[in-house]
Amino acid sequence: MITGTLINYYFHCQTQCWLHANRINLEDNSEDVRIGKVLHEIKEEKSKQAEIKIDNIKIDRITKDYLIEFKKSDSDPQAVKWQVLLYLYKLKQKGIQRLGKIEYFEKNKEQKSEILELDEANEEELLKVLDAIEKLISSATPPPPKFENKCKKCAYYEYCFI
Amino acid sequence: MAKNHTRYIFSMGELKRKDNSIAFINEKGNFYIPIEDTREIYCINEVSFNTKFLDFVAKAGITIHFFNYHGNYSGSFYPKDYLVSGTLTIKQSIVFIENRLNIAKNIVKTIAANIYEVLYHYYRHDKKELKPVLDWLKNDADKFISKDITIEQLLFIEGQIWNRFYDSFQYFLPEDFVMNKRVKRPPDNPINALVSFGNTLLYTKTISSIYHTHLNQSISFLHSPGEGRFSLSLDLSEVFKPVIVFKTIFDLVGRKQLQVQKHFDKNLNYALLNEDGKKIFINAFEERINETFMHPKLKRKVSLKHCIKLDGYKLIKHIVEGREFVPFSLKDKM
Ligand code: SF4
Repeated sequence: MITGTLINYYFHCQTQCWLHANRINLEDNSEDVRIGKVLHEIKEEKSKQAEIKIDNIKIDRITKDYLIEFKKSDSDPQAVKWQVLLYLYKLKQKGIQRLGKIEYFEKNKEQKSEILELDEANEEELLKVLDAIEKLISSATPPPPKFENKCKKCAYYEYCFI
Repeated sequence: MAKNHTRYIFSMGELKRKDNSIAFINEKGNFYIPIEDTREIYCINEVSFNTKFLDFVAKAGITIHFFNYHGNYSGSFYPKDYLVSGTLTIKQSIVFIENRLNIAKNIVKTIAANIYEVLYHYYRHDKKELKPVLDWLKNDADKFISKDITIEQLLFIEGQIWNRFYDSFQYFLPEDFVMNKRVKRPPDNPINALVSFGNTLLYTKTISSIYHTHLNQSISFLHSPGEGRFSLSLDLSEVFKPVIVFKTIFDLVGRKQLQVQKHFDKNLNYALLNEDGKKIFINAFEERINETFMHPKLKRKVSLKHCIKLDGYKLIKHIVEGREFVPFSLKDKM
């Protein structure tokens, strides 16, 4: 089953999508991430996160009108958009209709948000995307990496270019 | 530069969880170790702790290595795998069955090449007696490995490579350090003591590095998988021995920073490092393994320690995508 993370990765980078789907998860070398993770894990002993899980998707928050996804930055809006559309689609299959709302928190900037609606056109496109992802991740090897700016910050950088 | 995340504990005492820190308690007081920049702890002396402490460090993915008073390795605390991948383990087993010899050959070739580089340094500095062993490493050893040989024959040639390497020490090390024979346990002379201690440090470093990948530590290629729970770490540490362990030894001994009379235990025939000796060795070892240089392919600064993990990535790439596994070469620095 395709998760929010996978569809997000698919739009971000297909190599990343394949590696993640095939369970090659590499440790993030950046110290910030590691420290954040360690502290998070230790704190989690006390308070469980307020996420909602439906099937295998994790939803940040649901209100009367919206399904809300929080993001740190709007560096890859395309990827987030499809992630949210997938969530709306899964909710719809459970008989729950909502609008999607993406809230970005940029450092030192105003909060921005974006509203999305699952309509006939993008639902059809979503199904095609899901199909394409299935095909991609079931191929024997990952698509060869292409070096781009985003690679510099990617956890797979060393794996891809060693 | 990347911080050093290794903590060494040289004195007796107790390790405890104190809120979100690690506390080390001995008769001199309490010392706090921040958990977020600790990745491994080496207990070089007798240390006690409880399961609450182990649980805490396990959550942070910290490995702990234990040594007894004689500097012998007793074992490691290895938190339950956090990067488990069933798929990769299966593929790793398949590669073992189908391609073990090839991977093992590449490891042995690289051992020879890295030893060559280390010895060549002394040859250039006028140790002309090294010529025969250099020639043998470059030509004979390499040719033999490239032949259609069995794993047993490969292991035999690996033994030869190390033996000739040890034999060559007489040409550039001071006489009181030269060993006649490499005896593993117990170390019977100063150089053997250094080699054993250094190899063990490197082996445990490798265990910690591989812990942060998906590789299964018990499926190895050069060593038989049965040789130990972490036999893959034995494999991956081999090519780094000349580069890290032996370079450290040669430097310390050559510069007289380690001396037989001063830094080895007299009661045991100088066949064990004393506490001062261990500290000097560990310092130099850490310095060497954390030294950074520009990685020609990644165009990033990396340390030798990080290169161990990168070799793990290369192996994953071989397992997942079939790309040839070429271990770290001292000459190419990658
Ligand atoms: S390093 Fe680049 S190519 Fe590799 S997974 Fe990351 S973004 Fe994709």
